[in-house]
Amino acid sequence: MLAGADAGRSIALMAASIIAFILIISLSVHLSDGGAVGWQPVAQAMANTLEDSAANADAKAEEIVTAPHPQRGDYPYIGISSRSIVWVIAQMHLNFAAFVLAVPIFVVLIEWLGLKTGNVRYDHMAREFMKISMSAYSITALFGGLLTLVLFMLYPDLMRYMMHVFGAQMLVYAFLFIAESLFLYVYYYSWDALGEGNRKWLHLTLGLMLNTAGTTLLVLANSWATFMMAPSGVNEVGEVIGSIWEIMRGPLWNPLNLHRFLANIAFGGAVVGAYAAYRFLSAKTAEEKAAYDWMGYTSNFIAILSFLPLPFAGYWLMAEVYAYSQSMGITAMGGILSWLFIVQAVLIGAILLAGNYYLWSGMERSEGSARYQGFIKYITFVLVVSFLVWVTPHTLILTPAEMKALGGSHHQFLGALGVMPAKNIAVNLMLIFTFLSFQLYRRSDKVAQVSWEAAGNAFMVTIYTVAVLNIVFAGVYYGYFTSTVYNVGSSVIQVASTLMVIVAGITIDGFMYKGAKTLPSQWGRVSNRSQYALFALPITFTWLMALMGYLRSSIRTDWHITDIMRDNSPDNFIPAIGYAGNMITMVTVLFVLLVLFVFWVATRADSGRQKVNVEAEASKP
Amino acid sequence: MRSGSSVLIWLAAVVTVVALFYGMDHLVMNLQGLPLNLDLSPAQ
Repeated sequence: MLAGADAGRSIALMAASIIAFILIISLSVHLSDGGAVGWQPVAQAMANTLEDSAANADAKAEEIVTAPHPQRGDYPYIGISSRSIVWVIAQMHLNFAAFVLAVPIFVVLIEWLGLKTGNVRYDHMAREFMKISMSAYSITALFGGLLTLVLFMLYPDLMRYMMHVFGAQMLVYAFLFIAESLFLYVYYYSWDALGEGNRKWLHLTLGLMLNTAGTTLLVLANSWATFMMAPSGVNEVGEVIGSIWEIMRGPLWNPLNLHRFLANIAFGGAVVGAYAAYRFLSAKTAEEKAAYDWMGYTSNFIAILSFLPLPFAGYWLMAEVYAYSQSMGITAMGGILSWLFIVQAVLIGAILLAGNYYLWSGMERSEGSARYQGFIKYITFVLVVSFLVWVTPHTLILTPAEMKALGGSHHQFLGALGVMPAKNIAVNLMLIFTFLSFQLYRRSDKVAQVSWEAAGNAFMVTIYTVAVLNIVFAGVYYGYFTSTVYNVGSSVIQVASTLMVIVAGITIDGFMYKGAKTLPSQWGRVSNRSQYALFALPITFTWLMALMGYLRSSIRTDWHITDIMRDNSPDNFIPAIGYAGNMITMVTVLFVLLVLFVFWVATRADSGRQKVNVEAEASKP
Repeated sequence: MRSGSSVLIWLAAVVTVVALFYGMDHLVMNLQGLPLNLDLSPAQ
C-alpha cells in the first residue's frame, strides 16, 4: 500500500478538484441567466445569481424556445479576444482530457495481460503509467472548470441555449465526472490491496468502470461539439423537436467519437512514451535503463498501432461533413483551410518518420536484427517519396510572374500530385511501410521453427506486393481517369488493402512465430538518440490536435451553431492561418511545459519508495 | 527446399492473393453500389 501521506494528499486533491468543478459549474449556470455584458455586469450577475432560487432559474430556462440571436453588444468584452481565451483554455483541457481518458484504457489491458501471463513486469508498468495520469488528472479538472467559467461568462447566450437543448444531459456529465474521479482514485490506490487472487479481478473491474465512465464522458462532450457543427433534434429556428438521443445522435457524432477515441489512445501512448524517454535518459543504472527502454517501446507500440487506423477515421469524419453540407466540406478542404491539410501532412509525416526511426533504432537491441537492416533504406525511400507527394500543394498563391514561369496556376507535372488520389496513395503506402518496419522489428529477435515458414513468407511478401499495386492502381486509375464517384469509392479499396496487410501480417506472424527460437536481445541497449523520437511524437501530436481542432471549429464560419444560431461576436470570422499558427504553438508550448511538470511530480513521488522491478533479463513481450 | 516446390509455393501465393484482393475490390465497390469498372469509361 502506498504511504498514507501520499494517499491523503491525493484524496484532498481529488476533493478539491471536484468541489472546484462543481462550484464553477453551478456558478456558471447561474451566470448564464444574468445575460451579463462586460465585467461590471458579470460581477453584478454573480451577486444576483447567488440569490436566485432554483425554481426561478428553471422558469427562465423554460422561456427559451428558439435559438437566441445576440447582437454585437450582447457579447461581454474584456479587452482580449474572447475566442482566443476560450481557444487556449479549451485546447489545454482537451489535451489533458485526451491523455487522462486514454491512459486507463491501455493500462487495464496491460494489467490484464500481466494477470494472464503471470508476468509481474506488466503490472508494474501499468501502475507506472497510471501514476503519470494521476498527476495530470487535477490539471485536467482545473482546465475543465476554467473552460466552463469562461464559456458562460463570455458567451452567455450560446451557453444558455446549449443548456436548454441538452438539459439534464449536462448533469449526467457532471455526475459521470464525479464517478470517474472516484473510480480513478480507488483504482489507483487499491492496486496493492486488490493485488492478489480473485481480488485482482475486482481491481480490473474497477478499471473497467473507470473506462466506462471516462469514455461516456468523451462521447457526451463530443455531442456538444457535433451539435454545433451539424445540429439535429431541433428545427430551423432552433426549437427542440426531438429527444435528447436525437439531439446527440447527429450525423457527425459517431465519426468524431471514433476519431477522438483512437486519437486519444495514440496521444496517451505518445505522452507516456516521452515520460519513459525522460526516465531512460536520466537513469543511473542499467536496470533502470532496461525498464524504461521497455516502457518506451510499449508506449510507442500503443501510439503507432492506434495511429495506423486514425487517417481512416478522419476520412470517415470528413466524408460525413461533406454529406451533411457540401459547402462545409469545401470550406474545409477546398478553400484557404485546405492548406491546413498540407501542414497536417507534414506533421503526420514527422510522426511516422519518428515512429519508424524509433523502431529501426530499437533493432539494435537484438543480435538477430542484422537480417533485416538492409530493408531499412528501401522503407526510408518509400516513406520520404510518399511524404513529398503528400505535402505537394494543389493551390498555390502565386504572383503573375511566378504563374508565367510555371506556365499556369498548377505545375505541369507536380500539379497532379496535389489532389486527393495522389495523397491517398501516399498515405496508404506510408502506413503499410510503417507496419513493415514494425513487423521486421518484431521478427528481429526470433527464428521461426514451423515447417511452413517459406510458404508463410511467400504469402506475406505477395500480400505486401499486391496490396501496394492495388493501392496504386485504385488511386491512379479511378482517381485520374474516372468520375468523382469512383474516385471516392476506390479510396475504400485502398483502405481495405492497407487493413488487409495489417491483419494478415499480425495473423501470419502470430502463427509462424509461436514457439519460435528467441535470439539474445537486451533492453536498454539502444541509442540515446532514439529517445528523442519519443519526445517528438507527443509534441507533434499536440500540435496536430490543435491544428485540426482549429479546422473543425472554423468550418462553422460565422455560426455558433450551423444554420441555427449566428455568431455576431467580434470574432465571427475564420482566423488567419498565421494567427492560428501562433495560437497553436502557444498552446503546444504551454502543454509541454505542464507535462514536464507532471513528469517531475511523478518522478518525485517515486523517490524513496517505488522502484520499477524490471530486471535486465526482461525479454520482449 | 527444392526449387520446384519453391516455384509452386510462390505461384500458389500469387494466385491466391490476387484472387483475394480482386474479390475484395469487387465486394468493397459493390457495397457502395458501384461496379468494378475496368473499361476506362467514366462512372455514370
